[in-house]
Amino acid sequence: MNNNQPIRKSLQIGVVFGIIIVFMVLIGFHIIAATLISKAFGIAVARGKIPEVRFMLYLHILFGLWMGWSASGKNINRSRSLLQGLVSGLSTGVVVALFDLLMTFLIQSGTDVRSYLPEFSFDRMEYFLLGLGQNGIFAHLAIYTFTGIAGSLFAAFIRSSAVKQFSETLKSSYEEKSELIKSKLPPFAIKIATYGFYALLLAILLILPTRWGSYWNFVIGLVGIYVIAGIGLNIIVGLSGQLMLGYAAFFAMGAYSVALVNSPHPHNLLWGFWPGIAVGIITSILAAVILGLPIMRLRGDYLAIVTLGFGEIIRILLKSDVLTSLTGGPRGIHDIRNPAFFGSPFSSDVNYVYLIFAGIAITVFLFNRLQNSRTGRAWLAIKEDTLAAQATGVNLQRYKLLALCIGAAFAGLAGGIFAARNNFTGPNDHSLMVSINTLSIIIVGGVNSIPGIILGAFALKGLPEILREIENYRLLIFGALLIVMMLVRPNGLWPSSRPLFEKSSQPPVDDSEKETRGGNHA
Amino acid sequence: MNSVKKTKPLLKRRNLYQLARPIFGIIFLAIILWRLYIVFVMKQQYGSDFWIRLIISGLIIGGVYSLIAIGYTLVYGILLMINFAHGEVMMIGTFAGYFIFEAANAITVPTAANPEINIANAYPAVTILIAFIVGMFIAAATGFFLEKIAYRPLRKAPRLIPLISAIGASIFLQNAAQILFSPQTRDYDNPSLMARGTGLDLLIGGSTIKVPYTGIFTFILSILLMVGLYLLVQKTRLGKSMRAVAMDKPTASLMGIDVDRTISSTFIISGALAGAAGVMWGIHNGLVYYFVGFIPGIKAFTAAVLGGIGNIPGAMLGGMFLGLVESVGPTALDISYQLKDVIAFVILIVILIFRPSGILGEVLAEEKV
Amino acid sequence: MKKKVLLSVVLLFALVLAACAPEAAPAEEAAPAEEEAMEEEAPAEEEEVAPAEEEAMEEEAVACTPVECPADDAAAMPVADVQAVCDADDYGCAVIPAGETVKIGMGSPMTGGDSAFGIDAENSGLLAVADACPFAGFNFELVAEDDGGLADGGAAVANKFVADPTVVAVAGHLFSGASAAAAVIYEEVGIPMLSPSATAPFLTEEGWDVFNRVPFTDGAAAKASADYLFNELGLTKAAILHDGEDYGKSLTTLFDAAFKEVGGEVVYFDAITSKEADYSPVLATIAALEPDVLFFGGYTQDGSVLTNQMKTTGLEDAVFFGCDGTYGVDFLDRAGENAEGTFHTIPKAAEVTDAQKRFDTCYMEAYGIAAKELSPYSYNSYDATTALIMLTKELAMLGDDGSLYVPRGALVTAVRNLDGYEGIGNIITCDEVGECNALGMVIVEVVDGEFVPVN
Repeated sequence: MNNNQPIRKSLQIGVVFGIIIVFMVLIGFHIIAATLISKAFGIAVARGKIPEVRFMLYLHILFGLWMGWSASGKNINRSRSLLQGLVSGLSTGVVVALFDLLMTFLIQSGTDVRSYLPEFSFDRMEYFLLGLGQNGIFAHLAIYTFTGIAGSLFAAFIRSSAVKQFSETLKSSYEEKSELIKSKLPPFAIKIATYGFYALLLAILLILPTRWGSYWNFVIGLVGIYVIAGIGLNIIVGLSGQLMLGYAAFFAMGAYSVALVNSPHPHNLLWGFWPGIAVGIITSILAAVILGLPIMRLRGDYLAIVTLGFGEIIRILLKSDVLTSLTGGPRGIHDIRNPAFFGSPFSSDVNYVYLIFAGIAITVFLFNRLQNSRTGRAWLAIKEDTLAAQATGVNLQRYKLLALCIGAAFAGLAGGIFAARNNFTGPNDHSLMVSINTLSIIIVGGVNSIPGIILGAFALKGLPEILREIENYRLLIFGALLIVMMLVRPNGLWPSSRPLFEKSSQPPVDDSEKETRGGNHA
Repeated sequence: MNSVKKTKPLLKRRNLYQLARPIFGIIFLAIILWRLYIVFVMKQQYGSDFWIRLIISGLIIGGVYSLIAIGYTLVYGILLMINFAHGEVMMIGTFAGYFIFEAANAITVPTAANPEINIANAYPAVTILIAFIVGMFIAAATGFFLEKIAYRPLRKAPRLIPLISAIGASIFLQNAAQILFSPQTRDYDNPSLMARGTGLDLLIGGSTIKVPYTGIFTFILSILLMVGLYLLVQKTRLGKSMRAVAMDKPTASLMGIDVDRTISSTFIISGALAGAAGVMWGIHNGLVYYFVGFIPGIKAFTAAVLGGIGNIPGAMLGGMFLGLVESVGPTALDISYQLKDVIAFVILIVILIFRPSGILGEVLAEEKV
Repeated sequence: MKKKVLLSVVLLFALVLAACAPEAAPAEEAAPAEEEAMEEEAPAEEEEVAPAEEEAMEEEAVACTPVECPADDAAAMPVADVQAVCDADDYGCAVIPAGETVKIGMGSPMTGGDSAFGIDAENSGLLAVADACPFAGFNFELVAEDDGGLADGGAAVANKFVADPTVVAVAGHLFSGASAAAAVIYEEVGIPMLSPSATAPFLTEEGWDVFNRVPFTDGAAAKASADYLFNELGLTKAAILHDGEDYGKSLTTLFDAAFKEVGGEVVYFDAITSKEADYSPVLATIAALEPDVLFFGGYTQDGSVLTNQMKTTGLEDAVFFGCDGTYGVDFLDRAGENAEGTFHTIPKAAEVTDAQKRFDTCYMEAYGIAAKELSPYSYNSYDATTALIMLTKELAMLGDDGSLYVPRGALVTAVRNLDGYEGIGNIITCDEVGECNALGMVIVEVVDGEFVPVN
């Protein structure tokens, strides 16, 4: 492994960082970032206002240091890293300076940049230039050159032997101590600690919802619903290896079932929530059977587009004029009644949160049992190698369909709770994005890993609700996050302890089903 | 020793799954025939000019779908991955063309005759040409960087990982466009040569049909680009390397083909095609906004699968077929126009049930078979 | 394994912390209210780019002077008394702690092809808040959220507002679909709605206490349109399209019935898939039936695409008749020449008053475009917001603990009981079900690139 990165690499890094900065300014993100820094210093900034100039300076410095750090690669040679930092800093500075020049020219020539780039205004450009006008360009050059060098040197220092040794000794002494303590403890103490931990967790889960207000209950409830859905989709995608992009259809089945049998509109049925859930699960399973039977022979990516199509078909049908008398059409179904638990109706969000927690508990329990059962092993066999699985006597169709049905059932449950909680559901609630979000949660969180799915749901559904400052940029960051997560941690935030794939690439062809057409494909 | 159990002869052992297909097919065929009967035999309210008008519409939109579908199929053939962000590449092409038109409309080239004339009206053909070139270039560049940043590091990963990365890239590009260029829908201000609403009047079956110039242009250009691509893939060296890499990557690299470079070139070409499709979309349909690429992307992917993934003529066929189904389908089957996507997807599912590899069959690496 | 345990402990800690942490310090209050309207994030010209141009009007324009606020001398009441009022109220009180703003919510599509409506509503609402004087030291704030105009967005935004205890009323939602979903949620908590533009008739037939609206209903629009088309223009064959969403669908259903009642013939009724680019197949199908008029229920983006494509699908001679959803400068821009001779409906404007002229000037100065250009409901949004603010001030009680108490039930009733409130574009008098429109509507035609009333 090469310890020294060629200068060309640092030039590249510098230019890339420069482009990132330019992009951020064009989308107005520098204001938000500076606002966040300002908040960290305790100074709040009103919506729409520009923070103080020094926070832009801090932002520049932070960014420059990060750039310098990246530029130094894995280098620990001081003089080399000085050069790298200089090169990358200069290149970032040059890119930014060119941008500054271009933009100031455009603004001064009177072009109405704002109608094409609405997030970019004269004020914001001034702010970016630290309020220095033309001199800001030189300021940028200087800042980035210096911070590039500083960051690079700092990185080299951190990686140098002295610091590394220090952290190594810390780590080893910690490990020694913990080993010592562990060996001294009687085994049941550890067990008690584990049970105690779980009991504490349970207590927290039961008490917190009553304390932290309806907004948090709303967010956690949403996260929880997606956890249930995620686990269901995981059965289809993770346990049995069928790529499904139309999961929203089953979700919709559950939601609409509860809605239709539990609301005065449009059929004036008030059967209650629990019968509604039962109906929802049954209809989801039916939908899964209808979808699953014809498509047994399709492999991987064909399955993806067909399931995507299925999801869209369901959504369009729910919205259509043709079925409005049945489904309520684009207006959706509102005034869905709340559930009642042994006679007493749900009175607040807290009840829903408990319901969702209970749902998660059931789902997790079923998932674990399934995964460790004969069915689970059959699914694993199908996922790994369909031909071999068949050879060992696994009935492909039966198990694939079973996976689809069980996954659909979980979706039905999640959808039903979703509709009841919102007291409303409509066709736009069940778009392709729901399927994509659920899939992302599983993969970002970690396929086949329950804590991973919970973490993924929280990260992808909970965090955006929390980070209100960056509301406009929420989806932008979401998209970037997906890419970064796949590049950095492809096995997920909390990977399952069982390895997901034995081989690096899958044999995508469902050989057992394919009719040979002379053998070769040209 | 156990005696060998006599198994029932295969012909009699039908399980549920094997029965499903023929039953499904029969039901489907029956429904289609019944609807067609209603429209063509019973109601008979449309003349031949009407159907021709619909077919023309379908071919025009089909041409655009084909271009985008080819992009999908190229990438899938080589990398076995669904490039979910392809629709966004098209969207970027649309925006690039939009900005060129805006610039051309804004900059004036005073002549003696008309001191106020802008470039677009003075040199309409050149403006359109530049719009296409720039659109294709920027879209190709986007495709290139997309591959480099989001897909290349994940080449060895299991299939789901690059798919999520692609989805992430799609969302990122959509929202970047939304924030950069505002969520407002913008219009393409076509040069007068290509003004929307003007068209060629054809006399068919006793009545005139107006075929819009933008439509004719779109269709002809699509065909030209597709032919060009086909020639590139079949006759040039680059095309040969593309086919080789698609067929067998390790062997191709052993034969001295630069696999990375070939893959990059594939993305560049598919991006360029999407960019051209994007500019065409803008000229013909007139609207550009950040979400404009999403639905065509999905439809084009459907078309590519329909024709046989990895198969370039298949993508062309699939695109045209899908365009025609969307256009002619609802009226021919007397189904509400709102359900046209349902019709398209149902036909897709049916075709895949009976031909799981698409209409023209898939063209994939031999080692996967 | 250790890393994971650590991660989960950190997460748990964060959760607990988040639950127990006190509320973050509120945002800095802006200086004089007028300034805030100017610097608010709005898609408008910067002040530096071009000086505000006075609208060229036949009469003299009225300058946009800041509102003079009366002395703010609300007396504080003992908390016990305040609590008594709150307990007696059906919905309890909204409590706004000292230092926070009293919020008026607004839900509208602010992104996408119909965002002109939402942007306009926010603009007007911000001007209303800027003109509002503080009460007992509490300022008012507009919280405009994007609901996409559709039911799911409406429900999401409603849930958000309901979770914020400082939101006392909602000047919205703008679109009927979103309003329907949101009203159910507000009905439970007692947040009154005064919608500037939701016209679907069923909204006042649901028996909600919280929903009220300023504009005319689609029922009236459908009847007037049918009458005008059949009797004034003499067009007897109509084809009807809607965009598949709640508002369009309900309007066109009403028009279908109304047109048949008046004696016309409806040759085609179908929906398009909203926000697509090519509707030529369905237009060609319609053309084969040779209608005189194409009636469309939906919004500007689809309306403009349809208008453009009518010319090349055999419908050149047919008239395009839209609705209040298709009105706006966006439509004119996108349809260009093809917009000539199209019809739309808008609320009838009240008599031009000084207050209205002042609003026009303020709007132009702050946003660089004329009021009622983006959507016909600029005055309605302003009036709705100011009415809500006025009622809130009447009912709010300042407790001697420094917080402001607004009894929700009383506010809901007060909005429903509005009588003769004179806004700049409307006189708001609400009846028992929440219809507050006194002025009716008007049909406009596009002539020479401008919207001109037809009679």
